[in-house]
Amino acid sequence: MTHSETHRLGMLDSVLGAINLGTIVLDHERRIVVWNDWMRMHSGFAPDAVLGQDFFALFPELAGKRIDGAVQQALRDNFPSVLSQTLHKAPLALFASPAARDSGERMQQAVAVTPLEVAGLPRHCLIQIADVSVAVTRERLLRDQALELRSQTFSDGLTGIANRRHFDVAMEKEVRRAKRAGSPLSLLMIDIDSFKAYNDHYGHQQGDDTLIKVAHALAAMLQRPLDLIARYGGEEFAVILPELDGEHSVMLAEKMRVQIEDLAIPHVQAAGNDRVTVSIGASTHSGSELADIAALLGAADKALYQAKRGGRNRVERHQEA
Amino acid sequence: MFNLSELQHDALVEIFNIGVGHAAKSMSEIVNEEVTMSVPSISFLNRADAAEMLGNKESSRVCGVSQHYEGAFKTEAILMFPEDKSLDIVRLMVGESVPLKELTEMEQEAMSEIGNIILNSCVGTLANIFAQELSGSLPQYHVGTSEEILSATGANASTVVLMLHIDFILEKHQIHGYVAFVLDLTALHDLQEQVDRYLAKVMGPA
Repeated sequence: MTHSETHRLGMLDSVLGAINLGTIVLDHERRIVVWNDWMRMHSGFAPDAVLGQDFFALFPELAGKRIDGAVQQALRDNFPSVLSQTLHKAPLALFASPAARDSGERMQQAVAVTPLEVAGLPRHCLIQIADVSVAVTRERLLRDQALELRSQTFSDGLTGIANRRHFDVAMEKEVRRAKRAGSPLSLLMIDIDSFKAYNDHYGHQQGDDTLIKVAHALAAMLQRPLDLIARYGGEEFAVILPELDGEHSVMLAEKMRVQIEDLAIPHVQAAGNDRVTVSIGASTHSGSELADIAALLGAADKALYQAKRGGRNRVERHQEA
Repeated sequence: MFNLSELQHDALVEIFNIGVGHAAKSMSEIVNEEVTMSVPSISFLNRADAAEMLGNKESSRVCGVSQHYEGAFKTEAILMFPEDKSLDIVRLMVGESVPLKELTEMEQEAMSEIGNIILNSCVGTLANIFAQELSGSLPQYHVGTSEEILSATGANASTVVLMLHIDFILEKHQIHGYVAFVLDLTALHDLQEQVDRYLAKVMGPA
């Protein structure tokens, strides 16, 4: 090796060490042959600990995943691949700082896998990893603001809780999420008992006040960020409860029923009672069967009808036939 | 316009359907939901007609992802969807419920990845079946009229476009898009030769 070639190699080595991008090279048997300083910093593995090792033995959770296919495609077919943050979030266990490592918060990554010709050797592949956390945060902010703007057209004018439109959008999103994650999703339909009689007796003004009181009392009982209560119709409310099974949703419904009873809003025209009460129908998608919005709504509606027919001021859960 | 024999045409449709089938499987694995894709038809067009097919109006913007391939034949492959459809695809894939008016930077990267998967699968299947090797570039994202996108990827007036119609089905939504292979006359000849060689192999000598 000539003197200038030695310098050149040393310089290239320094470049690899200095660039602000994760750089990994795998040989044709997917053994790690380059692991730059950026990788050392963010993965916690020093080059000595990983060089010569099978990449997928080091990161077993990546075997069979898209990056595995991308490496195969680079080595076998000579094609490059990209893995976007949006579709993969954070495939590798990389952390921006020791504090992030302690809290388990992975760096958001954009990955490119490209074939690499190495003179005299079978084809290698290069994996480049960029930290896109800043862009992700910026877009989240943008989206939150868009959501904020939209929520102004998504809330019910009288009660201030979500309106029917908001409910429909949220329902669609949660059903898809439940389907993907295989997690349960519960739905409550809540109806104020004898509300027509209440309006006729106390007038619409007081009827509206009662609607607001009931809506706020119910909304205050939802603790988890993804729970959503919406005004579904005149005196009807719907509650979406992601990741809550049938049993727990009925327990919550029962608490809600008691809470409204305890408000002790007088209702002299109530059938079989002296105060404002609610009937609640519950239905649950268990995570195993295919979720369907119409089926979930229909089941909750049926349960609500049973509660009404069973004497009101009660909770019924729809049981599969 | 340039035409293939019925046999050559059918062979290519079959090969591309295998290709998008692989792509659909990869995408299903990413989103954990069923994705299906098919290529109902292909056609050879000159560049002007190809641009026309995608609606070459100022108002109708197209979103494209292109990759350059070379080896057994040389081509610029471009996945194209009307811009509003590309918003649908990315948001269906991501499961995002707050649509903004245009794809954000991160969503554009997701679209590039979707294009990357589809194009690599199509070209990879061709290469496999022809027992040839091709090399590819990283995907590039474009937005503009179909004419602008075809020009940006180096198509000139004399190039031929092999246009695949692609049906993409995700979560009950069917989205229609296109993959264009921009070929010069040499590349077209090379491609035809590969198809013939493949046909001779599977059918036996004529």
